[in-house]
Amino acid sequence: MKQSSQHIVGTVGEIPPGTHKIVEVGGRSVGIYNINGVFHALRNICPHQGAELCKGIVSAYVTSDGPGDFQFDREGEIVRCPWHQWEFDIPTGCMITDAVMRTKTYDVTVEKFGVSIDNDLILIHM
Amino acid sequence: MQTSNTNTQLPVDKRPKLKRSIIDCDIHQATGLDAIKPYLPRAYQELVKQYGPALPGGMHFNGGVGGRMADAYPEDGGNAGSDLELMQKQHLDRYNVEYGILTGEGYAVHAIPNYDYAAAMCRAINEYTIEHWLSQDSRLRGSVFISKQAPYLAAQEINRVGGRSDMVQVVVSSGSSIPYGNRHYDPIYEACVRHNLPFTIHVGLEGEGINSPHTGAGYVAHYIEQRCARPAVMGAHLASFIFDGVFERFPTLKVVLQEAGVLWLAPFLWKLDQEWKGLRVQTPWVRKKPSEYFRDHVRVTTQPFEETPNRQIFDHLLESIYAKETLMFCSDYPHWDYDSPSQALPKLEPELWDSIYYQNAAKLYGLPPRKTEETK
Repeated sequence: MKQSSQHIVGTVGEIPPGTHKIVEVGGRSVGIYNINGVFHALRNICPHQGAELCKGIVSAYVTSDGPGDFQFDREGEIVRCPWHQWEFDIPTGCMITDAVMRTKTYDVTVEKFGVSIDNDLILIHM
Repeated sequence: MQTSNTNTQLPVDKRPKLKRSIIDCDIHQATGLDAIKPYLPRAYQELVKQYGPALPGGMHFNGGVGGRMADAYPEDGGNAGSDLELMQKQHLDRYNVEYGILTGEGYAVHAIPNYDYAAAMCRAINEYTIEHWLSQDSRLRGSVFISKQAPYLAAQEINRVGGRSDMVQVVVSSGSSIPYGNRHYDPIYEACVRHNLPFTIHVGLEGEGINSPHTGAGYVAHYIEQRCARPAVMGAHLASFIFDGVFERFPTLKVVLQEAGVLWLAPFLWKLDQEWKGLRVQTPWVRKKPSEYFRDHVRVTTQPFEETPNRQIFDHLLESIYAKETLMFCSDYPHWDYDSPSQALPKLEPELWDSIYYQNAAKLYGLPPRKTEETK
């Protein structure tokens, strides 16, 4: 069985809520997203045609009660691929319209070392 | 085996060409002005007599003889599709038609700017059809003609005759001034749903009268070009239904696409699904894949069926349009490009044949099982 590894990818202060950062870990490009204080790691490859998924617009899940109506739920939890605007759920890596189509996600933890929260370390587990 | 006994007693040329009966979803009884004139209000009867019909149409040379099979004209004169006896002999009896859905003629009503005249014409066509066709042969079912350009008047007509058991759908031309998914038409769909009537879009009258040009590129010079552009027009209506959310507003509405061909729908559905993946956020009221709306709400009739280069392509495309649930046979009798019930399609395995030639239409129109098989 392949050994899992953990990597420090930055500090909490570097990725405030509502932002994300693309990092290089173990030869892979990964997007680290802070959604309301919870960190998520998403492989930076779109399963469709290989675009850098994490360079896409981050938005809400758009729903509707009927024609002409737009509602925005789960703000900041959806990334839209820069190439064809396919939507992906950041926490799960699943495509919105077809959950079978997904990109890899990694577990993220925060290690508290520093004197302030900003200095706490973000670790991803691969 | 009562049927085959009866068959063997008939001379060869009188025996039905099909062992199992079929439902034909597109038979054109003649409902031109000559036939329906007595059913028009006095004002329009007089105006037509004094000035002529004031109807658009005939921009292209049609096919066949006057658009009809050359051998479909009654011997004593009169138009093709005007004589029930000839229709019975040439088509209904010959091909063992259990039920035939009449779709009429005179789709010019869908292209005239005078809404009251259009509505009066539709009423006349419906009355004529009830009296001269539906009451004369119990195999026949009717289509409610409506002035689709005036949805309020159209809904009145659906409410007037749509409750009859012998009227099984509403029919309009594919030629339109506004795509059929537009909310403009909601009164029509409310009435269709109220009376449980499918809304059938039959090709015709594109580019005529008040309707939009034959193609987005403009008017085309020849009938063959118009025919080949029809999938694009029908596709525009289908996309409009889905993305304007008609099936969300009217969850029980069924739509029939008639005579624009069939197999073009395969790549069209692929495209709808593909584009939806990236553009979903612009129409979030579309809650499932476009092709799923198609399967749940849309039916397609066969004629004029595209000839495929080989059997493999035919089978694949049939599967891609979910033919087992969505496809319904029709002949287009007595029009010039008639499809023979026994020879228009390649041989099909029995269950698929039964779905396409009977069950899908029976389910959609609420028609009973075959009489010969009722007790089995």
